[in-house]
Amino acid sequence: MARWTRSLLVPMILAWPLAATAQPRTAAEPPRVVDGVAIDPDAELIVALADDTNNMDPRIGMGSIRSNYIRQVFESLVDVDARGRPVPGLALGWKPVTELTWEFTLRRGVTFHDGEPFNADTVLFNLDRFFRRNLDRWSIKDVLAATSFEKTYPFVARWERVDDYTVRIHTSEPAPTLWDFIGREPMVPKAYTIKNGVDGLNERPVGTGPWKMVEWKRKTSMLFERHDAYWGTAPLFRKMRFQTIPEGAARIAALRAGQVGLIEGVPPFDAPALAQDSKLKVASSPQKLACRLYVNGRPKDKYDSGGKDGLFADQRVRLALNLAVNKDAIVKKIFNGYAQANSSPVASVSYGYAPQEPYPYDPARARALLAEAGWRDGNPLTLQLLFPAKHYGQSFDEMTPAVAEMLKDVGVQVTVRPVDFATLLQTTTKGTLPPNGAFTACRTGNNLDADDYLHDWAAIALINWVPYPPELMTLYTATRREVDPPKRLRLLADLQRQVRDWAPVVALYQEVKVYAHSARVLRFTPLPELNMDFRGVAVKK
Amino acid sequence: MRAFLLRRALHAVFVLWGVVTAVFFLVRLTGDPTPFLVDQSATQQEIAEARHTLGLDRALHVQYLEFLLAVPRGDFGTSIREKRPAMGMVLEHLWPATVELAAAALVISTVLAIPLGVASATHKNGAVDHVSRLASLFLQSMPSFWLGLMLILLFAVELGGLLPAFGSGSVRHLILPAVTLAAAPLAQNVRLIRSGMLEVLQQDYVRTARAKGLAERLVIYRHALRNAAIPVITVTGLSLGFMLSGAVIIETVFSWPGMGRLIVQAVPGRDFPVIQAGVFVFALIFVGLNLLVDLLYTVADPRVRLT
Repeated sequence: MARWTRSLLVPMILAWPLAATAQPRTAAEPPRVVDGVAIDPDAELIVALADDTNNMDPRIGMGSIRSNYIRQVFESLVDVDARGRPVPGLALGWKPVTELTWEFTLRRGVTFHDGEPFNADTVLFNLDRFFRRNLDRWSIKDVLAATSFEKTYPFVARWERVDDYTVRIHTSEPAPTLWDFIGREPMVPKAYTIKNGVDGLNERPVGTGPWKMVEWKRKTSMLFERHDAYWGTAPLFRKMRFQTIPEGAARIAALRAGQVGLIEGVPPFDAPALAQDSKLKVASSPQKLACRLYVNGRPKDKYDSGGKDGLFADQRVRLALNLAVNKDAIVKKIFNGYAQANSSPVASVSYGYAPQEPYPYDPARARALLAEAGWRDGNPLTLQLLFPAKHYGQSFDEMTPAVAEMLKDVGVQVTVRPVDFATLLQTTTKGTLPPNGAFTACRTGNNLDADDYLHDWAAIALINWVPYPPELMTLYTATRREVDPPKRLRLLADLQRQVRDWAPVVALYQEVKVYAHSARVLRFTPLPELNMDFRGVAVKK
Repeated sequence: MRAFLLRRALHAVFVLWGVVTAVFFLVRLTGDPTPFLVDQSATQQEIAEARHTLGLDRALHVQYLEFLLAVPRGDFGTSIREKRPAMGMVLEHLWPATVELAAAALVISTVLAIPLGVASATHKNGAVDHVSRLASLFLQSMPSFWLGLMLILLFAVELGGLLPAFGSGSVRHLILPAVTLAAAPLAQNVRLIRSGMLEVLQQDYVRTARAKGLAERLVIYRHALRNAAIPVITVTGLSLGFMLSGAVIIETVFSWPGMGRLIVQAVPGRDFPVIQAGVFVFALIFVGLNLLVDLLYTVADPRVRLT
């Protein structure tokens, strides 16, 4: 037990030096010069985004658009740095104290925007909300949440307050990723939520984050003001407006006109032209958005099959499809280099990612594998491809037909069926994908650990159409139980290698998100997360 | 007149009932919204629970009856995506943003169309006529998203931010989207007025007016235009309906917080209450405008009687 506990202190020890740089700030004057350049501490930065958020209460959902808004206001126990690594947030450290208990040491001196202190009671209240416990006691209503913690993490048994700044969470089985799935959830204030209800929290959110929300015009803009009592490195400008500009060309025009300071979602082929403009800068970062071709390899008892197993249960067939798709060409020709080919099932920016040998583009080998699996000229493999057009953007919409053509080149008879995203969701939810069915889609996540991706094939769900075979399930379960970080990393790497060879999906690309901003915006670094981080960012005078 | 209004009110009730009934069943044919509300790794059980929470697992006729009883109270339920009253969301986008934009576009498309159409007709085959017809053809042919982007590039980027590229809240913000929205109806009105005027100017009563020695301006604007404008009233009524309900492209290009984009976004998101509330308001607008057009006929043409 001692060895085990000592080894698990590693993340905690790593966390301490980082935390030391982020102690509560005294009321010092904000700097007026950054990197030798005079800055405007009272500036307002307008950031153009493609869409508005539907909600600000993090419990309702933290999708790719919503996170960007929510994480300006709310913070988690575990924060991330610019490279996506876990660093102390509202918790200074986290460690397992026994095999079945995690302890979070909380940061002192943190207050919510309304002055409510952040402490152990806050965390316990949030845990109650996550796991839908004691809601009557707190007189708050439940919300239809994107993540059902009590079902997804049923092994989390109870939580307790050790002192004002220490919380322990007990589990019924070892839970090595608890620091991630609990630690990355934004914390809301207890007293404010009880007093104003969850609707009040959603409409007028109050967090501990660097920005206070002061105005929200739905579908139009959200105005933030710097939280001057912020515990960490605050933004170096006073106001920020998230402006919804859905059209990419209009966002670029607004940036060029100087009417916004920063834009997201720059179309890949516009980025080089913007980079040549001396008044602008282009920044990019790999994201956790992994886009894949999902194929039906479910056994007949796991979907509405009409008595037939999924046609892609054969590993050789799935490998053939991977070899038939020229991913480098997709990255270069469709994404202008602003995407990555990634043969690991885990995003390259996740904790525990292990790079894997790329699938070579080898149509001849793909044909041979298909023939070996019994799919020859007289008996070609058919594939009915559902294509959620107009959902993931222009480049995705160009990519899917290109993939279909590449598959046709190796003899697969592909039928492309464009559908709206809701129809695709419904098909996968009801399990009505035909035996020869497939679909292109992208998945992302709010968590940092590789498990966020590796659990995709562990239980039958929307995106799991090739469930783990018993031997991989055993290995996956081992990664879920191993609490020694070095050992677990080795297991994760092994699982990634085996999943790469087993090829449950055709890994198409991982997104690289492109931003452009005025040269007046200093120190903006895109995160590999779903949100932007403006702490330490300044606006030139 | 009273009988006419009463009859039209009854018609309106039937039309609105038909519309809300059709939209209620049609949106449900598109499928189930719950997969949007749960995590990608959600199991069948979690999805079923979400459906239960939304009340979508009840019998369709029960849902319909509840819906129908709530409509007269203006209660269209709560938005599935935003958890707010659906009708409130629609109304806050209708007023002021959509009404402001539609009104500005209406003013531009009618006020400019009258002198241009009249000048084009009175100078048939002259330079003014050729320019006016060419401009009308251009404005009607241009896709509104392209025209909008070109206007942004010209006025916001090339002319150093003369007008804002996006947003709402001031007259300056209103100009570019209103001009873009007005372009096609303006061209249509110019052509309608021109052809109407050309026809009317050949009529005996116009010749009589001229023979009586009336000033040409009075002949054209008091006698000819009043008759030539009748088809314009019909078309403008319909155009205004579309401006109020369907300026989606313009709202997207200029980030205008109007009702069109709200509804269009609600469709792929299967936000049934918002779609239902939005379509109800659209129907109400069209019914109201049709009634207004009928009433305006009596003003424009004394021969028209409402019985």
